[in-house]
Amino acid sequence: MIKNSIILLLFVCVTHIQAQKYITKSGLTDFKGSVEAFEPVEAVNESTTVLLNSENGTIAALLFIHAFRFDIALMQEHFHENYMDSDTFPKATFKGRLLDFDSTSLTEKVQTFKLKGVLNIRGIDKTIETNAKVKRLGDVLVLKGAFTVLPQDFGIDIPKIVRKKIAEQIHIKLHYELVKK
Amino acid sequence: MKPIFLLTLVTILSSPSYAQDDLLDTLENETQVEHFQQPAFKAMKIGNLQSTKVAAKGDLYMYVSHRFGTLKDGLSTFFGFDNANTKIQLVYGCFDGIQLGISRESLRKTYATSAKLKLFSQSENMPFNVVSYNAIYINSELRKDRYPLLRFGDRMSYTTQLLISRSMNKNLSLELAPTYIRQNLVLEPEQKHNQYALGIGGRMKLSKRTSLNADYVYHLNRYENSIYNNPLTLGIDIETGGHVFQLLFSNAQSTNEPGFISNAEGDWEHGDVFFGFNIVRVF
Repeated sequence: MIKNSIILLLFVCVTHIQAQKYITKSGLTDFKGSVEAFEPVEAVNESTTVLLNSENGTIAALLFIHAFRFDIALMQEHFHENYMDSDTFPKATFKGRLLDFDSTSLTEKVQTFKLKGVLNIRGIDKTIETNAKVKRLGDVLVLKGAFTVLPQDFGIDIPKIVRKKIAEQIHIKLHYELVKK
Repeated sequence: MKPIFLLTLVTILSSPSYAQDDLLDTLENETQVEHFQQPAFKAMKIGNLQSTKVAAKGDLYMYVSHRFGTLKDGLSTFFGFDNANTKIQLVYGCFDGIQLGISRESLRKTYATSAKLKLFSQSENMPFNVVSYNAIYINSELRKDRYPLLRFGDRMSYTTQLLISRSMNKNLSLELAPTYIRQNLVLEPEQKHNQYALGIGGRMKLSKRTSLNADYVYHLNRYENSIYNNPLTLGIDIETGGHVFQLLFSNAQSTNEPGFISNAEGDWEHGDVFFGFNIVRVF
């Protein structure tokens, strides 16, 4: 009897957790490292996967560097070959938390939450703190955010010859539309 | 004991710290890794031999190639400086995996058009890059007043190559290039018009932006007393973003396939070697 009830409890517990997750597999993550007067250095990743636990605000994101698309194909090739070593480090991840997140209070009006977590690019961890704007549109949770990183934080070496053409700070923008998993 | 064990399990399952790790683990399990395959070569040529690189759709490249005269001449021509052969070429990626090119070389006043077609790209399922390269050349130097029987067809020569390359690792790429050349006008009467050759080439990266390159073409049916030799080209690539500079030494002065494969006039053993460079610029 006890055994049965525990199994039941376990089952309830697991389904409970399941029911509180929101997910997207087509999140937009883009970055800009352009310098005015030179060719734009920017790319977009349209297949970022993001998982949000709406109960406690924990969030995880994963993207494949390979899926970043540039306007100029050669720039894309150099991005992977010379800067990101995309064959060795195929993905970037983020693991964090929306502080004081309360999914029940979400409406169509945008609410701002502190987003804190660890970004991992090229195998190097970096703590990120920024604000995320979240709203609910029907069944969809829309999360937007932006932050900046420095290439050297992730061991990305920018040689002298192109230093003028690449911004010192890289601006990263997020736009994720999550649905119930 | 068992219920207690299960109870512990439930507690672990519902604790937030577990939930956080679990999220990323779930994502890692749900996604399939997309691998980036390093390109085998930085430029469309290894040195003289075509590489398996094909211009991406919409990319326009300009190639300026210089081959100075032979170094053997020494100071009398300033090591070949006075007898340079120049080629200018435009290459455009018209569609995904298809590039077209036009060029003019001063040696034999040769016009050329070329088409390069990517057939396979190296990936987890495919061990090689396979590219087909075809070019047509028109020798505009031949003059009708000197050769009254000259027909237009005599000016033409053709090349068809299959380029097969593989990135062996991060730094080393190798290539094989079975080649067919048709010269309607051969420079030696005993030489067959239809010629077969096998090119080999490779590059060894020294850093992310520089590499050592080499290519050699073995001519399979060269006329046995021919004055021409098989071409060996050694060079370095320096890539600077929008440009690739290729500095090289070769025993051929022409940069067109019939020119350097069939009619390489120099000879490494006697120091009869040409210094040259290709500058590649993308727009």
